[in-house]
Amino acid sequence: MIYFVIRRLLFAVVLLFVVSFFTYVLFTALPTNPAALTCGKNCTPEVIARNEVRLGYDQPIHVQYGRFLKGIFAGRTYGPEGASVHCPAPALGYSFEYHECVTDLITRTFPVTLSVAIGAFVLWMGIGVGLGTLAALRRGRWQDRFATTFSVVGISLPTFFFALLAILVIVIWGGLLDFPQYTGFTENPIKWFSGLLLPWATLAILSASTYVRLTRNGILEVMNEEFVRLGLAKGVKRRTLIIKYVMRAAMVPIVTIAGLDFAALLGGAVITESVFNLPGMGKLSIRAVTDSDLPVLVATTLVAAVLIVVANAVVDILYGFLDPRVREKV
Amino acid sequence: MRKRRAFAALLVASGLAIAACGGGDGGGTTGEESGGKSASSDGIVDGGTLHILDVSEGATNLDPQRIYTGADLGFLGSTIQRTLTSYKYAAGVEGSELVADLATDTGTASNDAKTWEFTLRDGVTFEDGSPIECKDIRYGVSRTWASDVTGDEGPLFALSFIDAPEDYPGPFTATEEQQAGFNEAIECSEDGKTITFNLRESVGDFNFTVALLAFGPVPEDQDTGDQYTLKPVSSGPFKIESYEQGKELVMVRNENWNKDSDPIREPHLDKIVWHFGLDETVIDERMIADEGDDQAAIVYGGIQPQNLQTIFGDDKFKDRRTDGFDGFVSYTMVNMKTVNCAEIRRAIWLALDRDALRTAGGGPFTGEYAKGFINPRLGADYEEADLPEGLNEDGTPNVEAAQAEMDKAKANPDCADAYKRATETGLTRDHADSELWQKLIAIWIDSMDKIGIKIIDNPIEPSKYYATINETPGDLMSAGWAADWNNASTVIPPLFIKDGGFAYNYTWEDPEYDAFKALVDEAKVETDREKQGDMWKELNQWLVDRVWNIPGLYTKTQNIVGSRVRNAYQWYQFGWYNVGAIGLTE
Repeated sequence: MIYFVIRRLLFAVVLLFVVSFFTYVLFTALPTNPAALTCGKNCTPEVIARNEVRLGYDQPIHVQYGRFLKGIFAGRTYGPEGASVHCPAPALGYSFEYHECVTDLITRTFPVTLSVAIGAFVLWMGIGVGLGTLAALRRGRWQDRFATTFSVVGISLPTFFFALLAILVIVIWGGLLDFPQYTGFTENPIKWFSGLLLPWATLAILSASTYVRLTRNGILEVMNEEFVRLGLAKGVKRRTLIIKYVMRAAMVPIVTIAGLDFAALLGGAVITESVFNLPGMGKLSIRAVTDSDLPVLVATTLVAAVLIVVANAVVDILYGFLDPRVREKV
Repeated sequence: MRKRRAFAALLVASGLAIAACGGGDGGGTTGEESGGKSASSDGIVDGGTLHILDVSEGATNLDPQRIYTGADLGFLGSTIQRTLTSYKYAAGVEGSELVADLATDTGTASNDAKTWEFTLRDGVTFEDGSPIECKDIRYGVSRTWASDVTGDEGPLFALSFIDAPEDYPGPFTATEEQQAGFNEAIECSEDGKTITFNLRESVGDFNFTVALLAFGPVPEDQDTGDQYTLKPVSSGPFKIESYEQGKELVMVRNENWNKDSDPIREPHLDKIVWHFGLDETVIDERMIADEGDDQAAIVYGGIQPQNLQTIFGDDKFKDRRTDGFDGFVSYTMVNMKTVNCAEIRRAIWLALDRDALRTAGGGPFTGEYAKGFINPRLGADYEEADLPEGLNEDGTPNVEAAQAEMDKAKANPDCADAYKRATETGLTRDHADSELWQKLIAIWIDSMDKIGIKIIDNPIEPSKYYATINETPGDLMSAGWAADWNNASTVIPPLFIKDGGFAYNYTWEDPEYDAFKALVDEAKVETDREKQGDMWKELNQWLVDRVWNIPGLYTKTQNIVGSRVRNAYQWYQFGWYNVGAIGLTE
């Protein structure tokens, strides 16, 4: 087991290096020149050249990348002497768009995304697994038809459409909620909750639709397994059988997908954060793309990659708990 | 003066797309709407919080030496950043009147306007209560040279005008010798009350130049370099309480601002909250609904095209909506080296289907056909130029008149090369690449085809647009311009004079260039403002007659405010509201 974990960790580190390097390389291939983005009509070739020096893009890509790696372990100082800004380790860069150290930006925006993700995750798993289970157990009845319809509608609605519709109907026309905005949990838990209700609902309804189907199909499939029929024949109570054996077996693939979905969400719910104006990692990433803000782009990509890698590891461990056969293999 | 936000280049370049929409004069206009009751001061009660709704993720800049956007200059100038001179708090042309701000008057010129002197008022302070002195202004101006910090984002007039050492790198990395040289160019009196600018050339309106925030004071001991833009030190009636990009900027009253030292500003609000990163569709819906805090809200930006009909088609919005010029003139820059034939340039203008171009860009709300290069907002310098005979006022093409000009060009031996290039090789049409331009270029090609001119489409990646046309100009290029201050000296010289800054089209290749430049030089140093205005009008006519560029549109913008907002008049100088003057009703 220890060798397995070490092997996975080493692989994760290599993977993160590869991701960060390729993000750098891809960035240089973009047609946009970040050094020309802010100078407008002042953008003579001389001004752009000066800006390239200021932003550090005058150096070859491997030098830029080397400095980036060094900054992670040793910190970095940006700007000329007398007006310099120091970013302590782990320095993921300095954003000349935000005028802040990238690590500070990530630290500030991650709690927002985490808040969005946790609430949405709880909701969608609750709705998705609950409704999916109900649909499977009441197969062919109105509960099943309702769950299937919910699933089809949910999957068909684009996130931005549902989000805008929710704002229009619930906030603007209905006046039932204030316009969603992020307040820190420690600052005011009630405002935190009410401000995130609509974003949670938006993400949950859309994602729950997938989980309704997955859960329904998973349970129905397990219900047809021989061990279930054997249990029933031997007189095991239906409720015990479903909760203790069927659900446990059906949950294995769902946990896998849920773990990865949750990790992806932590990387930033781009559309939801944008429509509801939540200053999270999703918005940070999208602005980094539009502003050609390489340090932020690399950092958000890296953080998202770390989250996926960690989620994969967690899922593997959970697998072991849910399915003893996996434990034995490892 | 550039338009707005982080993508200044991109925005202007795409704004220029509309540039090509135009040329000419004429009909189909919407007129201007001033905002009705919301533009008046009726019922203002001191106090309250103004909300600003914005799609952007943050302010373009708050650092005074990096701000070069009309709306930002007005907003920050009226709230946190005072300058030696500023503009009158008034609607209409009156709002372009220069008034003394930190200085006791609008400055004294001597030495053929190569030396300008200003004396600071008593009692002017920063937000920490420390006095504003000459050295603070000199230090602020010196930051313009520090491209390693400011990124050349702000206006660079200081670099052109002030007689600083050629190699001065800004205050952060200057040697003692370099700094001493700079301090000779901007001198401070011993008592710190008088500042003297020594200029390289005569600048008759330098007192307008110093109204730019780039000439505002910065306390050296509180300069945080690149991060100064996150929390500049206030000298105005408000100060920054907090600023988080992607979320909000909060300004509260500056208790160390002394009304007795400020004859211009009359703040009514307690607080200003600028909300960033909102969805544009949501902003419009909120403003139309006008509920809760949105009744005390204004919008940074404009109304979405799809909502214009709702807002301008219903009288219930008449006291909340504005429709006006944003100060820009869009135009098509013509390469005078390759299209060195006035007849061909005139033919292009006459044959261009400006009506179709404007319709594709959004119709009359996008602007009115320009009658020259000077915006009507420049008042003293503006006069409708006489346009070429046959140019249709409604923007539709006059192919017959255009063909007649082409025939003249064909018969003129001086036009032989240009004629051959236009009809055989083809004219390269540079523009910033955009979805809109994919439609516009088809109209260009079709229009020119009718008079035998071939158009070669050359879309350029927006962020590289200006750098590209500066280095390798095509034959026809989109462009747009707004005056930096209320004087056509910031329009005609930069657009048409070699080294003026934005003349990418080889005007100096024209045989009449020397005569033109002599007239411009004369106008630049003329200190009688009325006389100077007449000179700019004549020069504008001169340019239209020779079609050195093809005028496009006086571009317009539409906006809406909440029902409790008052004094939300368009501040002509900056193309947006005078936020510092805004008040709220109960």
